[in-house]
Amino acid sequence: MIAKLLILIAKGWQRGPSLILPPSCRFQPSCSAYAITALGRYGALRGSWLAARRLLRCHPWGGSGYDPVP
Amino acid sequence: MNDHRNMILAIVLSAIILFGWGFVTEHYFPTATAPSTKVVEGKQVALPQPGADPSADAPVAIRSREAVLAETPRVAIQTPRLEGSINLTGARIDDLVLTTYRESLAKDSPPIRLLSPSGTSNAYFAGFGWTAQGVAAPAADTVWQASGNRLTPTTPVTLSWDNGQGQRFEIRFSVDDGYMFTADQKVINTGNGAIAARPYALVSRASASQDPDSWTMHVGPVGVFNGAANYDFGYDDIIDEGDQNFTSRGGWLGFTDKYWLTALVADQGSNVDASFRRGPSGSFQTDFAAAPAIVPAGKAVSYQSRFFAGAKEVQLLEKYTDAGVPRLDKAIDWGWFEWFMKPIFSLLNWLYDVIGNFGLAIIGLTLIVRILMFPIAQKQFRSMAGMRVLQPKMKALQDRYKDDKPKLQQEMLKLYQEEKVNPMAGCLPILIQIPIFYALYKVLMLAVEMRHKPFFLWIKDLSAHDPLTPVNLFGYLPFTPPTFLALGVLPIILGITMWLQFKLNPPPMDPVQKQVFALMPWVFMFIMAPFAVGLIIYWITNNILTIAQQKWLYSRHPGALDQPVAKAETK
Repeated sequence: MIAKLLILIAKGWQRGPSLILPPSCRFQPSCSAYAITALGRYGALRGSWLAARRLLRCHPWGGSGYDPVP
Repeated sequence: MNDHRNMILAIVLSAIILFGWGFVTEHYFPTATAPSTKVVEGKQVALPQPGADPSADAPVAIRSREAVLAETPRVAIQTPRLEGSINLTGARIDDLVLTTYRESLAKDSPPIRLLSPSGTSNAYFAGFGWTAQGVAAPAADTVWQASGNRLTPTTPVTLSWDNGQGQRFEIRFSVDDGYMFTADQKVINTGNGAIAARPYALVSRASASQDPDSWTMHVGPVGVFNGAANYDFGYDDIIDEGDQNFTSRGGWLGFTDKYWLTALVADQGSNVDASFRRGPSGSFQTDFAAAPAIVPAGKAVSYQSRFFAGAKEVQLLEKYTDAGVPRLDKAIDWGWFEWFMKPIFSLLNWLYDVIGNFGLAIIGLTLIVRILMFPIAQKQFRSMAGMRVLQPKMKALQDRYKDDKPKLQQEMLKLYQEEKVNPMAGCLPILIQIPIFYALYKVLMLAVEMRHKPFFLWIKDLSAHDPLTPVNLFGYLPFTPPTFLALGVLPIILGITMWLQFKLNPPPMDPVQKQVFALMPWVFMFIMAPFAVGLIIYWITNNILTIAQQKWLYSRHPGALDQPVAKAETK
């Protein structure tokens, strides 16, 4: 239930702000797509944890490239 | 290049929060249910009904403040920040102005009036008293004897009243040089038997605040019960859902406006029954009553409550919190991000102390944020320049996967990974800036410290929107345009700096996106126009600094510009 809500937020992000922003993704898939997959696969708690960890890596000193949900 | 994106994102989110949520909450709490006036029963002693407010019941009796003030005997209040009087009829603090704040920026503007006696329009007052069993307790029409005629930080005043049945009631008022009154309520029993008296304190106001209650800012009854702040009830909720009762050990309660607060502070060692309720005449009331005290014959029992009436100055509220008023600093509804807003506020306030101008302090804050973010931009540019080496390999990939875009993207990312370069800054740098912008928005909206603070020239109040607009030819045409049309000068500068900054970026490949980007600065110009000038100054400064930074970095990394950055995009 909570996971679904969080997925909805992530989808809202993709449809809204993300569209008008220039591309910034260092990773494939993007953070929002990653979050949606992670939440769907592992539920709200572990999914958010994975998504948060991915976000924290998403800066110039973090990793980059192909980084799928485990 | 990620910088304007940061700001756009910030504003989009802020806009969603500001407008969307206000809309949602408005529709979630319809004001249609019938009001309930049922009062929950008290415990063993009848609950005090300190709401009796005779003149408020008869609105015909509304008179001018001067007339009402002259009707009853009074004790003057005079402190460095407060002026007013205590009404000896009813022992009420019902006349108080904040001498250091003015209603408006006009030179002859009167000071802010917080409290006003019952019988005037906008009546708003605090009262202290007892309910008692079997003996006469002081009432709203009791005329008290005062020990002096002036209450100052150095001269407390004691009010006393003898009920003629052997009990004397005393209220000793004292005040500090901030906004805190102390009321020591004492019952002296010289009669033959024990009596029970229950001390109470109340704040009553005739009408709701003119400040709007919104999702981002609570206005209305507020309190801290058992250590937890309660922002749940607005004036409408009290009307719709009826009276709200609480039991608490210690704590405080009162009414908050955007900038002003009245708060009754219980003796922190006592258990109190507290409530937010409606008075019989449609007024609003917050009150608490302590447990009934048994006063044996020949003995005296006292109870100490305090009363805050003033501006919600952060440092002062914190000082009182440290001095034992639990979480009085919560009177400012910072929201979930308090942990983040407080440091931003402190930094801004510190800069203001150093510089002496709030506009310059905001510019200083922007500068600090930019300096902290600079390594990110620099690192990104270095990566972009470093991509030059990869040019041949990328070309090869592009040729190979000409018809398979997803595959091309994947391969390019793989290449970045192998070579340990990436032209993208990632989303975290964007996300970091959202709370900063939102914090500044809230600080400008909530903090009384920002109220009526000038910048330069025509900007006299950084917490209001830009008053100078070409729509009415800078005030030469005799009309005031509606807010959504009143495009100020600074918002126009914002639009221009944003447009300049966008021009520095490599144009996006997608034609739709290109269109969106061309329009964006002008859309935001209108969106931002009604916001606080301080916020717009922040954004303009941010844009200018970004432009300077881009130019400088481009000149240092000449290779960065001609990289096919946009082609590497993945959404």
